[in-house]
Amino acid sequence: MGIVKSGTRLAAVAAASALLLAACGGSSTSSESGAASAPASAAASGGAGGGEPQAGGTAYILTNAEQLLTLDPQVVYTGEDLAFLGATLTRTLTAYKMSPDNNEGTSLVPDMATDTGRVSNGGKTWEFTLKDGISWETGEAVTCADIAYGVSRTFDIGVTNGGPTYGIAYLDVPSAEDGSSAYKGPADGTGQELFDKAVTCSADGKTITFNLNKAVPDFNYAVTLHSFAAVPKAADTGAEYGNKIVSNGPYKISEYQKGKGGKLVLVRNENWDPASDDYRKAYPDSWQVDFGLDETVIDQRVIQSSGNDETALTQGLTTASLPLVFDDPAVASRAIDAFDPYTRYTAINVEKVPDKLVRQAIGVALDREALLKNAGGKYAGEFADGAVKPNIGVDYAATGLWDGLLGQAVPGTGDPEFAKKLLAQAGVKDLTITLDYAQSDDGDKAAAIYVESLKKAGITVKPNPIEPGQYYGVVFKDPNELLVGGWGPDWPNASTVIPPLFTVAGGWDLSRVDDKAFNDKVLAASTELDRAKQATMWQELNKEAAEQMWIIPTRFGRDQRLAGTKIGPVYSWPAYGSWPYADMYITQ
Amino acid sequence: MSLMVDAPSSVSDDTVVGKSLTRLAIDRLRRDRTFLVCFIALIVIVLIAVFAPLICSLVGVDPYSLDSSQIDDSGGKPIGPWGGASVEHPLGVEWGTGRDLFARLLFGLRISLLIATISTILTVTFGTIIGIISGYVGGKTDMVLGRIMDLILAFPFLLIILALSGSLTQRLTQIGVPEGNPSRLTYLIIILSVFGWPYLARIVRGQVLSLREREFVESAVALGAGTFRILFREILPNLWAPILVYATLLLPTYIGTEAALSFLGVGVLPPEPSFGAMLADSVQYFRLVPSYLFIPGTVLVIVVVTFNLAGDSIRDAIDPKASRK
Repeated sequence: MGIVKSGTRLAAVAAASALLLAACGGSSTSSESGAASAPASAAASGGAGGGEPQAGGTAYILTNAEQLLTLDPQVVYTGEDLAFLGATLTRTLTAYKMSPDNNEGTSLVPDMATDTGRVSNGGKTWEFTLKDGISWETGEAVTCADIAYGVSRTFDIGVTNGGPTYGIAYLDVPSAEDGSSAYKGPADGTGQELFDKAVTCSADGKTITFNLNKAVPDFNYAVTLHSFAAVPKAADTGAEYGNKIVSNGPYKISEYQKGKGGKLVLVRNENWDPASDDYRKAYPDSWQVDFGLDETVIDQRVIQSSGNDETALTQGLTTASLPLVFDDPAVASRAIDAFDPYTRYTAINVEKVPDKLVRQAIGVALDREALLKNAGGKYAGEFADGAVKPNIGVDYAATGLWDGLLGQAVPGTGDPEFAKKLLAQAGVKDLTITLDYAQSDDGDKAAAIYVESLKKAGITVKPNPIEPGQYYGVVFKDPNELLVGGWGPDWPNASTVIPPLFTVAGGWDLSRVDDKAFNDKVLAASTELDRAKQATMWQELNKEAAEQMWIIPTRFGRDQRLAGTKIGPVYSWPAYGSWPYADMYITQ
Repeated sequence: MSLMVDAPSSVSDDTVVGKSLTRLAIDRLRRDRTFLVCFIALIVIVLIAVFAPLICSLVGVDPYSLDSSQIDDSGGKPIGPWGGASVEHPLGVEWGTGRDLFARLLFGLRISLLIATISTILTVTFGTIIGIISGYVGGKTDMVLGRIMDLILAFPFLLIILALSGSLTQRLTQIGVPEGNPSRLTYLIIILSVFGWPYLARIVRGQVLSLREREFVESAVALGAGTFRILFREILPNLWAPILVYATLLLPTYIGTEAALSFLGVGVLPPEPSFGAMLADSVQYFRLVPSYLFIPGTVLVIVVVTFNLAGDSIRDAIDPKASRK
C-alpha cells in the first residue's frame, strides 16, 4: 500500500501530466499485483548478482530532477524523498517495516521510540518513549524537546512550504478566529503556551506526549511522516534549513550542489549508534544522488550498468525504455514492476458541473482503455473503480462503479450511448467543457483521447494545457470543468484519501466538493475507534464518491524502476512504492 | 517591367532583344532542371495540403480517431513493424493512441503551409510598404523607421515568442478571436510577421535609395506625379525581383520555424497535428520505432528543401548577377 502523497505536491504533477515517464512512485507485491509480484520477490532474494549483503561501497541514484525538493523534515512530502531521507538522515518515532510484502511493508515498527506508541484518553492522547543512544551528527543526544521543536515547525515552515499539516489538524491547539491555528510557529512565538500544552515532555526528556483535539486512532501512522521528526532548535535556519539539515540517521551531508551536473553526497555519520537503530542496515559507505540527467540517458546507463552505474538506481523508467528492459530477462531481473500508491483520476468540478447525471455521462463516455494504453498498458496499471486503491488494505472494497453501480455496466472503452441517455435524462444538450492538464507530449495525447471519446457522446472537450510547474497553482485558483490529478494515501487508512479529496478542509479538493451530509459522515468515520467498523464506513463513502462521479477514477497506477548489477535488494517497498533504501547493499 | 534598366544578359544575345524581363526570367527557369523538378514537387505538395481531407477520406484514415486496437498493451507501442504500418495505416500509427500517421502528416503539412503562407504574405506586404516609404521619404521618417527596425531585429525573438504566448493568446481571445487554435495560430502569424518584416524592409529601402535618383523617377516628379503614384507605380515594379526572391526563401524558413515552435509547445493545440509536435513526440521512441521520427522528419526536409531550391532558382533567373557561382 502506499503512503505518500507525492501524490500531493510534486508527484501529483507528474501524475497529472499522465506521467511523463509513466513512473515516479513504485510499489510492490500487492495482493492484486499477482504475477508481477513474483519476479520482484524472486529478484529480491536472488538479485544483485546473488551476493550477500555486506557493508561498503557507494550507492548512486540517477535522477532528472535538479535537486531534492527539500531536505527539511517538516516540508518533505513526496514519497520517494520520505523513503530516501528517512533511511539516511531523518529518524522518526515510528516507521514502516522494510519488507516487499504488502501487509508487512505497511505495518508499523518503532524507530526512535521504544514501541509504536501508547494510546489513552479514548484515542486523544498518544505517548512515545525514546530509545537510548540516539544522537545528532554533532554528538548531542536527541531529546523530546528536539522532537517537540520539530513538530512546532509544522505551524510555520511546514504549512507555508507545502509540508504535511496533520500536526495542525490533530494537535489540541485552538483555532484563531480566521480558522488558522492560534499558534503561529516557533519563529513568531504567538500562542507558544498553547502548543506546549498540546505537546509535552516528561521530566527526563525521554517521553513525548501528544494531546489531540479528537480521537485519532491512527496517529502513530501520522508520526512516520517527517513532519513529526526532530530538529535541533539551535541549528534551525528557518526556510534555509531545507538545504542543509542536521542528521540523526546513519549518514550526514558531505556535499550538496543543485542543478544540472549537481550532486548530493552522503557519508557515514560517526555519531550514529547502530545499537540505537535496528531499523536501518546502512550497508553502503556513502550515497550519491546525481541530478539533472536526461531520463533516457539514465535508463540507458543503468541498462548497460558499467563502472559506477553497476551500483546505480533509477527512480522510474520512461515508457520507451520498458520494452528494452522487460524483453531482456537479464535486465528484467534487475527491474521492479509493481503497483505504486497512486490512483490517477480526472476530477469534475462540481461548481461548474453540479448535475450528477451530467458528471456520470462524462465518466461513462470516457475511453479509459485508450488512456490506459496511452500511459503504457499493463505497465501503467489497471482500471480504477474509486479513489481508494486496493493496496491500502482493509479500507478498500470494490465499488462496482463500472459494473452496474450506475445502472448498467460500462466497458473500458466507454459507452457513448449510455452517456447520451444520461445527458438526455439531465436535459442537457450541446455540452462544452474544458480539460485542464499539465502539458507534456503524453498529456497532449491523453487530452486527444478525452476529446475524441467524449465527442462520441456529443460532448465537446476543449483541451487547456498548463505549464507543468504551475499546474496545481492554476487549477486550485481557477479550475475548469475537468482536471487531471493523482493521489496516494499518506498511510494505510482511507482517512488520508477521502477527506483530502472530497472535503474542503482536506486540502486537495480539486472537485470543489462541499457536501454537508458527506462532511458529517467523513467526520464520523475518521474518529471511529473500531478499525473494522471504520473500514466499512470508508468503503461506503468511497462508493458514494464514486457514484457521485466527483472524480472519474481512471487508473490504479503501476511503476517501474531499474537497479544496476551490483546493488540490491531489488524489491519495491510498499510503504512508499520506493526502493527499500534502508535495506540496500552493494555486492562486490 | 519594361522600365527595369539593368539586364545585361539580354544585351549579349541579339535574338532576345525585345523580350521583357519576365519573359527572360521564365525562359531561364524553363531551362533549369532543378527548378522544374522542384516546381512540380511544390505543386504536388500544395495540392496534397489543400486536398488533405479528401485524400485522407479516400485512403480511409483521419487524423483524430483513436485506434487502440493497433496499440500493444505493454508500453503503448504500435503493434507490428514500422510503427504498425499496414493497409489501413500506410505510414503506421502514433505511439500510445493509435492515430494514423499518414493523416496526421497531411494535416500537419496543411497547418504548416497555412501559417507559413499567411505569415509570408503579411511579412512581405509590411516589409515592402515600410521599406519603400523609409527609402523614398528619407529624413526623419527614415531615421525613426530605421531605429524601429533595429529595435525589432535586436529582440531575442525565440524568448519573446515563448514568453508572450500565454498572455497574448488570451488577449486575442478577449478581442474576439475564437478561443483555442484560431487565436494560437493568429498569435503565431502575428509574431512571425512582426519579427520578419524588418529584414525585407531593409533590403527594399536600400533598393529604393538608388532607384529614387533614377531618371524615370525624376521625370515622373517633373510631370507632377504624386508621391503615392511614384512609390507604387514607378518604384515598386522595379522591386519585384528582390521581393519575390525574399518571399520564396522566407516561406520555407517559416515552415521550419512553425515546426520548431510546435516542438517547443507554442504551436497548435492538441489534438490538431503538427510537424513539430510529431517530432517532439517521436524522439523518445526513436530506438524502438525509428520510422516514427524519420517520416515526419523526411517530409519536413523535403518540403523545406523544395521551397528553398525553387527560391534559389527564381533568384538566379531574375537576377543572374547574383548567381550561385
